[in-house]
Amino acid sequence: MLRQAPCVAPATGPRIHTLRLGQWLSFRVRTRSVVVGGILVAAVVVIGMLTISLGALGVAPNDLLRTIFGQGNGTDRIVWGTIRGPRLVVAVAAGAALGIAGTLFQTVTRNPLGSPDVIGLSAGAAAGAAAFGVLWTGILPQPVGALVGASAAMALVYFATGRGFSSPSRMLLVGIGVSAVSLAFVEFVIIRVGREEATVLAGYLAGTLASRSWEHAATIWGALLVLAPFALIVSRRLQLVEMGDEQADTLGARSGRTRLLAVLVSIGLATAAVSVVGPIGFIALTAPQIGRRLTRAPGPGVIVSALTGALLLCLADLLTQQSPVPVQLPVGVLTALLGGVYLGFLLFGQYKKGNI
Amino acid sequence: MAARLAAQNLELAYNRSVVVDDLTLTLPDGGFTVIIGPNACGKSTLLKALSRTLRPTAGGVLLDGVPINSLRSKTVARQLAMLPQSPITPEAITVRDLVGRGRYPHQTLLRQWSADDETAVANALAATNITELQDRYVAELSGGQRQRAWIALILAQQTELLLLDEPTTFLDIAHQYEVLELCARLHTDGRTLVVVLHDLNQAARYASHLVVMKAGVIVAEGIPSEILTAGLVEEVFGLPCVVVADPETGTPMVVPQAGARRRPTP
Repeated sequence: MLRQAPCVAPATGPRIHTLRLGQWLSFRVRTRSVVVGGILVAAVVVIGMLTISLGALGVAPNDLLRTIFGQGNGTDRIVWGTIRGPRLVVAVAAGAALGIAGTLFQTVTRNPLGSPDVIGLSAGAAAGAAAFGVLWTGILPQPVGALVGASAAMALVYFATGRGFSSPSRMLLVGIGVSAVSLAFVEFVIIRVGREEATVLAGYLAGTLASRSWEHAATIWGALLVLAPFALIVSRRLQLVEMGDEQADTLGARSGRTRLLAVLVSIGLATAAVSVVGPIGFIALTAPQIGRRLTRAPGPGVIVSALTGALLLCLADLLTQQSPVPVQLPVGVLTALLGGVYLGFLLFGQYKKGNI
Repeated sequence: MAARLAAQNLELAYNRSVVVDDLTLTLPDGGFTVIIGPNACGKSTLLKALSRTLRPTAGGVLLDGVPINSLRSKTVARQLAMLPQSPITPEAITVRDLVGRGRYPHQTLLRQWSADDETAVANALAATNITELQDRYVAELSGGQRQRAWIALILAQQTELLLLDEPTTFLDIAHQYEVLELCARLHTDGRTLVVVLHDLNQAARYASHLVVMKAGVIVAEGIPSEILTAGLVEEVFGLPCVVVADPETGTPMVVPQAGARRRPTP
């Protein structure tokens, strides 16, 4: 029996409902978060349909479902199956993975600027991609190179802090150093190789969704489906760690383990995203902040951050595909632009409140 | 003396520098124990060990006769609650949500909000007199109201043992007494309190059991009127003073000597 008990809170506060099923299942649901989540899902669907349908090659909206299930005409099947379909499906999962990685990391570091971009993961991936994709070709495919680079950078951060991943402030400091070293290596590679290769590499390093395949989609969706449940589980304990380690520990939430698990899940998701689409910037940074402002709810907000990340990346990709600029811009250029504007907006808001 | 919480030959250290050495202490059940002592005497450190947030380097803390570090953290959290000195207020959190977080040790992944949770939060809000503030954001509250919200959080844990680390710091004098009166009421209702305080007169007024520490060692413990003397205060704090009876309660009241300067303690 599903019983819905309206809470006693008067209408002024956030509306929360409790869903109970028997004695052992009960969840609290915040009305505003559900509405925001629904709107975000709808927005992702609409942007997705536009991505497939717009332009000269677009699949007509009426033919969309048929094409997805393999019934469409030849051109439509190619547009969905090899050109636009995979990159859309990749964009949804990569955006969601980056959104979750960002919110976990920002909660752990208690810092709105804490994100995989900052702790050296993205730069490490870039260095790996540069090394194996351009400099020493033929050893590893470029995405695997990025994976190796990101993992190596995180291992370096782990050992250089002297306390593993247990001290977020040290991770930020060390991460900035690892980033600098990795980017110096990338610069070296760009100067060393020919102009053609350097251009291709620069495209990848900005983060790109061009010519993604269904294998890429399977990789990122696999990582997302495996790691997202862990993110949901750890987020309950993580919201206690927000109140300080001692308070979390006396509530039985074990701050050290919680933080370690959150950081590992965050790194796993970000590494998967980076190895598939390259180091796309700013999604992990901005998605949780936008999500938090939409729901006005405390805590990490894993689901809303995932949906916001997916929406941001799909929107950025739609804009790059339909932009009047003659060259295909890498999507990372646009997310960096949107993110930069957003960051300015965020800082301006804090400035007005007198926080900086 | 039967006691649910006790420390035995406790040694506590941060990064190999020993703060508390070979300390044995029994916290009387149903008592209002107040720990006082000069800065850096190890009183907060002791409270951390008693609440299982700091692992002792030797000796141990016993909860119902069992070493506390051998118990599961959620099990301990259903028996013992602690309010740290400066907890961090999360962003955009209402009083109700904050207090609700105290229910974590009673919840599971699938049972995240039971009817018991609802009742416990309502009772905690009522006990701390903040029911009408429950939908306000914690960040908007005054210092005294905010401290009552944090105390409500540990009350929602529904534990018999309550540990508070300097709950009056950063509050003005009226709010300090408001918090202490709340503690006294909880004590009267049958809970066991262990509180670290700075103010000797407040400690003497509210404590049923006073523990005086200096340099990681317990110098004296007992009923305030029996142990709090001018000699003890001068020995522990290096402050020449006279001790008179508090005109309101008759408990010892420490009055520093005119022109007294802190003397270096041996």
